[in-house]
Amino acid sequence: MRRILISTAAATCILLFAGGERSPQANTDGPSEMTALDDLLAEDCIDEVATGIAQAARRLPQEGGVTSDEWPPNAIGGVIPPIRSVSDPFPTFDGIALDTVNDKVIFSDENRHSLLVYDRTAGGASNDPAEPVQYVFGPKTKLGFIAGVEVDPVRKEFYTVNNDSGDLLTVFSYGDHGNVQPRRSLTLPHQSWDVSLAPKRDEMAITVQQSNAISFYKRGATGTAAPIRTIRGLATELEDPHGVYFDEAHNEIITANHGNWTQIRPYSPYDPQTTDVGEYKSGAFHPSAITFHAADANGDVPPLRTIEGDLTGLNWPMGIDVDQTRDEIAVANYGDSSVRVFRRGDRGNAQAVRVIRGALTQIVGPVSVAIDTKNDELWVANYGDHTASVFPRTASGNVRPKRVLRNAPKDTPTCGFTNASAAAYDTKRDAILVPN
Amino acid sequence: MFARLANGNVAPSRVIEGQATNLSRTMHGIAYDEINDEIIIPVALSGAVLVFKGDAKGEVPPVRAIQGTRTRLVRPHTVAVDPVNNEILTADPSMRAIVVFDRMASGNVAPKRVISGPKTGLLDIVGLAADPIRNVIIGASRKGNGDQVGLFIFDRLANGDVAPKAFIGGPKSKLAHFRQVAIDPGTGNIFLAQQNTRMKQMEAYVLDKPREGFKLKDDDDDDSDSGRLDTMGFVAVYAPDDNGDIPPRAIIKGPGIRLAGAAGVALNTKKKEIIAVGGNGFQTFLLPDFFRALKKPGSTNQQP
Repeated sequence: MRRILISTAAATCILLFAGGERSPQANTDGPSEMTALDDLLAEDCIDEVATGIAQAARRLPQEGGVTSDEWPPNAIGGVIPPIRSVSDPFPTFDGIALDTVNDKVIFSDENRHSLLVYDRTAGGASNDPAEPVQYVFGPKTKLGFIAGVEVDPVRKEFYTVNNDSGDLLTVFSYGDHGNVQPRRSLTLPHQSWDVSLAPKRDEMAITVQQSNAISFYKRGATGTAAPIRTIRGLATELEDPHGVYFDEAHNEIITANHGNWTQIRPYSPYDPQTTDVGEYKSGAFHPSAITFHAADANGDVPPLRTIEGDLTGLNWPMGIDVDQTRDEIAVANYGDSSVRVFRRGDRGNAQAVRVIRGALTQIVGPVSVAIDTKNDELWVANYGDHTASVFPRTASGNVRPKRVLRNAPKDTPTCGFTNASAAAYDTKRDAILVPN
Repeated sequence: MFARLANGNVAPSRVIEGQATNLSRTMHGIAYDEINDEIIIPVALSGAVLVFKGDAKGEVPPVRAIQGTRTRLVRPHTVAVDPVNNEILTADPSMRAIVVFDRMASGNVAPKRVISGPKTGLLDIVGLAADPIRNVIIGASRKGNGDQVGLFIFDRLANGDVAPKAFIGGPKSKLAHFRQVAIDPGTGNIFLAQQNTRMKQMEAYVLDKPREGFKLKDDDDDDSDSGRLDTMGFVAVYAPDDNGDIPPRAIIKGPGIRLAGAAGVALNTKKKEIIAVGGNGFQTFLLPDFFRALKKPGSTNQQP
């Protein structure tokens, strides 16, 4: 992709030099102005292509209107290529869903807005990326900044949630490939993050970050169907919820919380300002936590129990999964690049029974985890390293993965963006600051 | 943080993240205070504004945090710093307000000034900039259909329910779905990143409750950066005295340069560079002419 970008830029540059008439203003450019530009270029030792781009951009019409479009009239600038461009052309692995019935593993890719399906046995010791057996990608898919992913092995369908850019749950089938419309979609609250299915109840649970809520829908809900119930309120202890697991075996909802909390009020320009909110509540930074709610909980209901405290080591916990045979919970602990395993019944300031962490593990910025009781494996999706790592199910400590699934060649960097939408320039360090 | 000369697919040179930072993974604004070497970040999901040392790295706590009942912050979205007058400004769409704090404010402190109310016209405030030289504050505020969508320019010391001294917006401006705004202190030129030219679409939900009477449309992907040619975004530049329904005086636009969804804009005034952020990446443009005094479109001489 970098090559494509540079090629595009170079082509534009050639086009501008070859076909573009110099504008009257460009013809009047004094030597001092061009020298100033040359000086700026020379100071940075920018490569030849970038130099050409900058010089061509300098010659764009200044008064005669923009050659490629009539709007805005008589404005300077126009279709100008950048001299530098930073982006990651490869997918990232975010959410993970494991189907041991059909031997598939599905990943959500927030960076390129795609869903990638691989054979469950994909990956190994190779330094090369593995080819997905199926992918969903393109404008028809309505995929935005997607986060969690879930699979229904019986119906051979997979679900994902747009965390931003189109507040939708979309559902695709194993038969879908490429730029295809979802089989069905459901509108969701803004900043929904994860989805978990409850096959026996025929329901699904959705976490909503900004509302500090879990919304429940019928599994096949479409369009603008309303949630059948919602856990939300001060008593719930839901605080920036991310990963969710609908534990039908124990009638519990298990949720990973980052700890950020504010009493959100409507902010959309379509809503009037809300003033009748009762007592003003302060925003808060709470510790990360795993909360357990009754599966039938509805409204402002406290959790049944909570794993929280210094000993837990929880640090921006993301996706979670439950090992029903070992009665354990695994959580992708993004903040310290680890996977932490707790006893399902733990409460309070509990220590993990196992932690997979360290240089040998190759876990970098994990966003999700999946347990395969059938094949005795544990999967980790690494946002920070273009990989998914597969471990023995009870792996512990600083251990190497059994195999690694790559979506880019080994050691390919990643920018780490998750919907970046602002920037600042640090004059002291000559650096660009970007919040996520 | 990326080196200014970073190009291609590169990892950041420095990252501030983790539980101890009190950051979240949802932040839509940032400001750098070059006089005091500090980074200022609004945390929408915690109703807070955090200040970090300029060289902060890894899982480090902020040096100051503005949060609490006196602050009146609910969901601060964007931030600016005025190091000359020692003020931090944030805008909160939930409160429909621009809120000004002392730069050294920490903890549960009341703002020095609040610009909010019907006369201000402010609603979904997604961009904010301060110009201590010309003594103005600029808020970029969106509205769905009708009403005022655009740049609201206030006196720097404006307080309470006051009308803006100038407003840039209207059909000729094509301002609709924009975000970050920046000011070149040398000229006062105003830079705005616009993701696309469609007005903000109505969401299906009011927070976690379905919106009454909401009907789905086929094109409800208003934040999409998929690059629809008819609604592509741009970086627009205005002169400091601009007012009314006017087109930009200077523009960077696509297609072909991956600028379909420019949400953020930052300036390197020394190098005459413009950094545009969006679509999980950023691009740098070298445009010295954008850092000169801009004449009205159609005038005979663009240069000073």
